[in-house]
Amino acid sequence: MVTLRVNGEDRQADVPPDMPLLWVLRDVIGLTGTKFGCGIAQCGACTVHIDGQPIRSCQMPVSAVGNRAVTTIEAIGLTPEGAKVQQAWLAVDVVQCGYCQSGQIMSAAALLARTPNPTDRDIDTAMAGNICRCGTYVRIREAIKQAATGQPQGLQVVVDGSAA
Amino acid sequence: MKRFLVVVVLLLVIGTVAYFVLNRKDPAAGTSPLIVGAPTNADPVARGEYLARAADCIACHTVPETGKPFAGGLPFKLPFGTIYSSNITADVETGIGAWSDDDFVRAVREGVRKDGKHLYPAFPYTAYTQLSRADVLAIKAYLFTLPKVRQPERPNDLGFPFNQRWAMGFWNAAFFRSQRFENDPSRTPQWNAGAYLAGPLGHCAECHTPRNLGFGLKHSQALAGAELQGWRAWNITSNETHGIGKWSDEALTQYLRTGHADGHASAMGPMGEAVAHSLQFLKPEDTAALVTWLRTVPAREGTDPVVVDPAPKAVVASNAAAPGGDVDGENADGKRLFEGACASCHQWNGVGQQTPYAGLAGTRGVNDPKGANVTQAILHGVTMRIGDTDVYMPAFGHGYSDPEVAALANFVIGHFGGKQGEVTAADVAKRRDL
Repeated sequence: MVTLRVNGEDRQADVPPDMPLLWVLRDVIGLTGTKFGCGIAQCGACTVHIDGQPIRSCQMPVSAVGNRAVTTIEAIGLTPEGAKVQQAWLAVDVVQCGYCQSGQIMSAAALLARTPNPTDRDIDTAMAGNICRCGTYVRIREAIKQAATGQPQGLQVVVDGSAA
Repeated sequence: MKRFLVVVVLLLVIGTVAYFVLNRKDPAAGTSPLIVGAPTNADPVARGEYLARAADCIACHTVPETGKPFAGGLPFKLPFGTIYSSNITADVETGIGAWSDDDFVRAVREGVRKDGKHLYPAFPYTAYTQLSRADVLAIKAYLFTLPKVRQPERPNDLGFPFNQRWAMGFWNAAFFRSQRFENDPSRTPQWNAGAYLAGPLGHCAECHTPRNLGFGLKHSQALAGAELQGWRAWNITSNETHGIGKWSDEALTQYLRTGHADGHASAMGPMGEAVAHSLQFLKPEDTAALVTWLRTVPAREGTDPVVVDPAPKAVVASNAAAPGGDVDGENADGKRLFEGACASCHQWNGVGQQTPYAGLAGTRGVNDPKGANVTQAILHGVTMRIGDTDVYMPAFGHGYSDPEVAALANFVIGHFGGKQGEVTAADVAKRRDL
């Protein structure tokens, strides 16, 4: 039996120690917002935070988490950076099919938490491990900048009426 | 003419006498020092299981993931051809089920199989010759309790003259001495146990000692490091710069028991197998004995010595999530690959997350400008099970081209080792076939 601190709550899970954190989150605890992509830490879809650091949960044995705080897409909106990123994501309408996006948002939120005003290069470096088969990279970069500055970056959509 | 004939006959006689003298068999049964995990009063099968693990029989006598332990068939690609390990399950027809105790002891300690033919020294009878008869028979007793697997021997793929097994008699005359382990009374019992674990059982030298032109071990360079099957087996002498002289006892112990020592090394390739199949199962007392013995291995520099840079500038200038200190434009392609495929686990400051095994800083691999092990790891990945966890790195050989792997390796060497990497696409291509 392991105890995990997930999104501020203690969760118990009766799982083998080598089960990847992603399996525990999705199949045992029932938090299915985090996605399974490649299973070998190469696509970024399964990104969650451990003590604020983005990690690939498909390649992290649950026994390695210890008592560190796990944050998933379900709760990232409760952090200031997470909230800004999610708002910008909506304003820029980043998402196409959406499968990779929880991982993208987790990586973006971690980037803004450590680098509040990232350059293009910072963004490329931090987001390089998150793959999007729909190719939303340009909108991802714009949305991160918008989240950082609070300013529209020119790729606004007007559907929700919030953009200038 | 008559004189000439006399000389020829004389030479033949001398040669024959020398052949038999050099091939003479040590008749002693031999004794072993006290191995904590295999006390002499224990059940022979239990002892045999522990000793078979300590000798790492399974690594070579099993093709991974076939579910046929000890059934042989694993290929060994050598410069002169490929040979396959043999079936050592107790199957009567295809294994060693019909072998007597004497047959088995002779094979293990003299390198001669039941039908009288020579084995090739890829099977380390050169080390096992020092085992005591009791230990060899304990291993046999253990093997005979395991499921018999019917799997015929795979014929070796060797050209002339290497396919002539009788010729190994000459190799043995030159490079092999049949002799039992000798307890050194001037050393502690623990040291002797370590020597027995490292030599006759663990046969460390088979990989870590370089070989001469005749493929015999270069004893003057014992344990100073060598390359085999594309991987570098590092210098494990007590040399402080190039060997393990500066590692603490704790670091050595951690490495031998888990395959990882913080800031020093993570095992992979053949050493990963040694840890996964063998070393992690040693009793802590036996690991301690190994460490005691390792400490006394005379310091040697070895060839292509590697100097670990403890604080390369790029590692110092980076944090976990963002790189720093790399020269603009240098290894740029490699850096881009690292960014996308590697950084999320290895991190830019060389610490590694997900698992400590991903820590790159301080390892000899990233400090080797030739990048042997870095390239091997990128191409073939890492899979080993330590305790109750899998240690895993994907293989990138199928995904990346030779120039990409070379660029990535050179970036890793530059960033984490502070050195100019020398890996070329041609090197990578060669390694794919190893």
